[in-house]
Amino acid sequence: MAASSIAARPGIVLEHRPWWRSRMTIVAAIVGAMVICHLTLSRTLSWPDSLVWHSLTHYLDNIQNWLAAESAKTDPNFAYRLIHWISSGLDALVRWLYHLLSSWLTWPGTTLLGGLLAWRFGGRRAAVIMVGSFASFAALGLWDDSMQTLALMLVAVALSLLVGVPLGIVAGRSDRFNGLITPVLDAMQIVPAFAYLMPVVIFFSVGPAAAVITTMVYSVPPAVRITALGIRSVPANTVEAALALGSTKRQLLWKVQLPLARRLLLLSVNQTILFALSMVVIAGLINTEGGLGAPVTNGLNSDPALAILAGVAIVVMAIALDRVTEAIAERTDTAKRHLDVAGRKRARLATGAVFLSIAVAAILGHLLSAGSAYTRWTAQDWLRTQVQNALDYVQKPTTFLFKDITNPVGNFLVAHMLQPLDTFLVETPWFITLAGLAAIAFVLSGLRPATTTILMFALIGAIGEWQDAMDTFSQVLVATAIAVAIGIVLGVLAAEIPWVSRAIRPVNDVLQTLPQLVYVIPFVYIFPISYVPGLIASVLYAFPVVVRLVERGVRDVAPETVEAAGAFGATRLQTLVKVKIPLARDAIMLGINQGIIMVLAVVVIAGLVGSGALGYAVAAGLQRGQFGIGVVASIAILAMGIALDRVTRGNRSAAKGGRS
Amino acid sequence: MRGKWLYGAVGVVAALAAVAGLIVASTATARPTAAKASCGTVTLNEQAWTGSTANTYVAKYVLEKYLGCKVKVTDIAEIPVYQAMAQGKVSAVLEDWQHVAQYKQYATKQKTVTLEGSNGLTGHIGWFIPKYLLQKYPSFATWKGIKGHEKVFASPEAPQGMFLGGDPSYEQKDTQLIQALGLKLKHVTVGAETAEVARYSQLIAQRKPVIFYWWTPEYRNAELNLTEVKLPARMKGCEDDGTTNAPIAKYRCAYSSYPLEKVFSTKFVKSGSPAVAVLKRWAWPSNADQNLVSSWIAGQHMDPQKAAEKYVKSHMAVVNKWLGK
Amino acid sequence: MRQSASSNGHRHSGPPLIKADGIWKIFGRNADKVVGTPDADLPRSELRAKTGCVAAVRDVSFDVYPGEVFVVMGLSGSGKSTLVRTLIRLIEPTAGRIELDGRDVTAASHDELLQLRRHTSSMVFQHFGLLAHRTVLDNVAFGLEVQGVSKAQRHARAGEVLKLVGLEDAASQFPSELSGGMQQRVGLARAFAVDPKVLLYDEPFSALDPLIRRDMQDEVIRLQEETGKTTVFITHDLPEALRLGDRIAIMRDGRIVQLGTPEELVGSPADEYVENFVRDIPRSHVLTLRWIMREARAGEEDGPRLDVATTVRNAVPVIASSERPCCAVDDGRIVGVVDKDAVLTAIAGEE
Repeated sequence: MAASSIAARPGIVLEHRPWWRSRMTIVAAIVGAMVICHLTLSRTLSWPDSLVWHSLTHYLDNIQNWLAAESAKTDPNFAYRLIHWISSGLDALVRWLYHLLSSWLTWPGTTLLGGLLAWRFGGRRAAVIMVGSFASFAALGLWDDSMQTLALMLVAVALSLLVGVPLGIVAGRSDRFNGLITPVLDAMQIVPAFAYLMPVVIFFSVGPAAAVITTMVYSVPPAVRITALGIRSVPANTVEAALALGSTKRQLLWKVQLPLARRLLLLSVNQTILFALSMVVIAGLINTEGGLGAPVTNGLNSDPALAILAGVAIVVMAIALDRVTEAIAERTDTAKRHLDVAGRKRARLATGAVFLSIAVAAILGHLLSAGSAYTRWTAQDWLRTQVQNALDYVQKPTTFLFKDITNPVGNFLVAHMLQPLDTFLVETPWFITLAGLAAIAFVLSGLRPATTTILMFALIGAIGEWQDAMDTFSQVLVATAIAVAIGIVLGVLAAEIPWVSRAIRPVNDVLQTLPQLVYVIPFVYIFPISYVPGLIASVLYAFPVVVRLVERGVRDVAPETVEAAGAFGATRLQTLVKVKIPLARDAIMLGINQGIIMVLAVVVIAGLVGSGALGYAVAAGLQRGQFGIGVVASIAILAMGIALDRVTRGNRSAAKGGRS
Repeated sequence: MRGKWLYGAVGVVAALAAVAGLIVASTATARPTAAKASCGTVTLNEQAWTGSTANTYVAKYVLEKYLGCKVKVTDIAEIPVYQAMAQGKVSAVLEDWQHVAQYKQYATKQKTVTLEGSNGLTGHIGWFIPKYLLQKYPSFATWKGIKGHEKVFASPEAPQGMFLGGDPSYEQKDTQLIQALGLKLKHVTVGAETAEVARYSQLIAQRKPVIFYWWTPEYRNAELNLTEVKLPARMKGCEDDGTTNAPIAKYRCAYSSYPLEKVFSTKFVKSGSPAVAVLKRWAWPSNADQNLVSSWIAGQHMDPQKAAEKYVKSHMAVVNKWLGK
Repeated sequence: MRQSASSNGHRHSGPPLIKADGIWKIFGRNADKVVGTPDADLPRSELRAKTGCVAAVRDVSFDVYPGEVFVVMGLSGSGKSTLVRTLIRLIEPTAGRIELDGRDVTAASHDELLQLRRHTSSMVFQHFGLLAHRTVLDNVAFGLEVQGVSKAQRHARAGEVLKLVGLEDAASQFPSELSGGMQQRVGLARAFAVDPKVLLYDEPFSALDPLIRRDMQDEVIRLQEETGKTTVFITHDLPEALRLGDRIAIMRDGRIVQLGTPEELVGSPADEYVENFVRDIPRSHVLTLRWIMREARAGEEDGPRLDVATTVRNAVPVIASSERPCCAVDDGRIVGVVDKDAVLTAIAGEE
């Protein structure tokens, strides 16, 4: 850290270099040199076969077979028995919760319970949202599946927090641990679930437990990261004051850091929920209990309209849980809790009344056998017809939408952006590509990121994924560029104009939780070119996070600075371009960084709708039982992610000065 | 103050317990009396294609209606389901497309699953084109007729001519086959089955040329009027799996046709349930039967349960054979 | 306004309560290898260029006696806030030895250090460092809470201290509902609640506006009178330093450039740097008769008597109206005389 901040110092001095020495010019020159090499050395020189470790996939397959054989033994060793207990426990827990929601409380009881809980902790608006979401599960005709998913998500989220929050606390208090765990978290978010689905099944069998574990791999990282952020965001002077009064570390944690980090802790709950819900479909591939994932997977083939309805139910659940937890977070704002004795008494009475009315509703539900009554009121058939009509419309090649907009745009994107870049990266001799990428990394971020880049791409070559990786790399670059461009524009607009911010938030939530396969299928019809739907999936998944970070960054620019700019007579646009955006640079860089991670997280889905390359290989690895191939392709995705992350992050840590 | 909270908590727990007790009591009495206990629960896995939905629900209907079994349907992915069968969590898969590596691992080595023979269907993979194309270019009936005309299949991502590849979960060797045949087509992976269907049905709707990896049985083939391109005949040592890195010449042949397997969990087979015998006898009389049910489900969006009922009611002879009557 | 009895630091009796001996604090990698080498004496920017280290405190030594108010004054970046933190090892000193109430702080174990922070010292911070999630009462009681004092006892004590700072009505409010001045009163109350022997103030009033700052200084003086705590007070404001301090250490670039009573600083600045500081201070407001008196000659003992600690400004009316030189008295004993010339010279020094 210290070394990099010192290394960066001369860079600050050189701010006034002539244009021909600016970073962008140097990068452009490197790219130019690469293009010239590409054109002159016109033969494809892919990574040499002699430098590939061919037997790796074979070894990996053997490991998996060995694990499977071990688990099949009648007298398993202790580790397997322990895992077996865990998985039976989890199975039982999820099933119990499902029965509680679905057959014990019945839907009137569950709806009332959800509504009243939201009302008690989040206020009236939260209650309306909660009841509305439950009503829509019934209206969509997906009540049972929704309750299955809800039970699964509650357990997965609770466990993610149980694991993630303590880790986050440690990471918030120790820089060393934070440094150790960050790459692990990155890997958990980048490595496609398809790669570890089979090992999870071997260890935890199929069923709710396996689904919970798979979900947790993706939803623990935000819990850790945001908790750590929360601990770190407690004002240093408060911590110091507590220490000066002789607090022990534990007292500091329980009496100062945790209470003050409360809002961010609740945000971590919120984000954990969103991340967990985005795994519903994949977790459904190894769950025996149904849930909303099953209608999506099966529906895509036999009933796309139903798949879309199930996707809508997932989104409704995500938005409801998001808004309700947020309302709770607002409510528990530390300085706003004034409950006198009378108020407490009232609150307790209210709690009692709540449980009583839920009990009454549940009993009523049973008397009316309402467990199945929702089917009488569902609007599923009507909705399915509507959705199917819409799908039929987009599938018709004669429409204006297709003929005059999407088809030409798609063709242009492929012919003039993706295809040339792909050809360039795949066909340029490997050593030129490697040297060029390293040089760009060096210019942008310094020596260490450049070294990382070389190592990571060499690793990709060594495991035999060079060609596929270059193919995927070209698409990742284009997707990131588009996502960042859209994200920055929308983020800045949202920071400046309140209604844009309000309008964009639900869109962001939808895009982050709606299973990508659901929304990408229509694009397969309207952009019938292999790369484009995958590109769209990546962009749609990645730009919301860029919007969020950019919006926050621009908003957080100190009002005094903005005021000062105004006092000098800067127009709104000048203030934005000359003050706010430069000052939000860190947030924007973080946005680019996170955008890349998100794009990489969609590589597999993109591979399933035509992007091919690494994503396709990962999917094939799971679905054809070729574990090794899937893992090797995942390693390549991870390596690419690490390189891109370090290059985009290098700037950030260098820009941060030490504490004075 | 803490004490008061404690009272509150105890009260709440007590209330909950009372409610739970009531509910359990009421459900216990309301539960319908289980039918013949001998069958128990059978878990069938539904795979991600419509034909599999047809299999699963027809079998489910028969087992529930005639044996009083309780049938649970799961939706586990194709490979993980082997592990599930090994552990007895899934009883049977009624249509498996030759997962040879899994047969070796689970059936031969571990003996945790058993292969129970054909489900009556013959699976066949090949290169398909729409009939209108064949009418325009009669030479496209065989691969030789395509040679030299690859540009007909030009697309934005493959100006030299596009071959639309299949779902990553299916066995394929088209890259190698194209190379072995000396065709100038570019193999384009469009991804999941749904995406492939979307892509070719879009092109067919525009009546454009398209050639793609596809298979029978599949209910869409008749609907879309598809026809197969003739590939070189099978020979000895013919390879179908592109990932085995065999010499390129080994791939110069058509895909084989093979029976679609029923795979059972060994635990299920040994359970003594009457469902085992019925499922062992269970098989479609022909590809057409499955296509019929599939088209009801996917083409007409009929509820799978109702589609199964409709088939069973109209094909009692077949069902009686399954039941051993 | 300042009490004459406490105006002279040398008068305090007994051994020092705080002893700081050769304290160094250097930030950066291998910081401990810098102390004792010639590098340690390099100017700040050169040291940084050479070793990558920043020296915040360099070889600082001082003693603080029981009941004394010891002020450390310097501009921002002079190392004064770092210095006060090293006293209870909120920042670990790189080298040097610190004694607090007879105990070696630098060698203290983790537990000893906790006990020291809980019972011996207390600190007031520039940005208050209040706990936003707790009421004023619970904030004040926090120090007692970490000591493990029962709720009833600590609330009783916190109530008393709140009365002392005049905030008894705000007990159930939250810090964010109070003005800055009131928040810092809570900070003061929190520090006094544990009844420490030593009070450390780190620029406690620099975030407050001038009028409130003056109020708060009065508050500190009043509390000081009532409780007689030994105090280390950090500030960048010279008038504040002169107002509160028995002795003042002026810091620059991590070193103490002058240490003395207010009148020593104003009367004989050690170098140009200190002189620039004190230039605008009216000397007559700071200098006392002790500073300008001379030996009494025979026959001068019958002039009007004034306490030796009286400031020149306050002495002017008496001296001006008297024909005879004025006698400076300490404990009833005449220690010198002041004539009109001496007063005029002292005032003239102000330009």
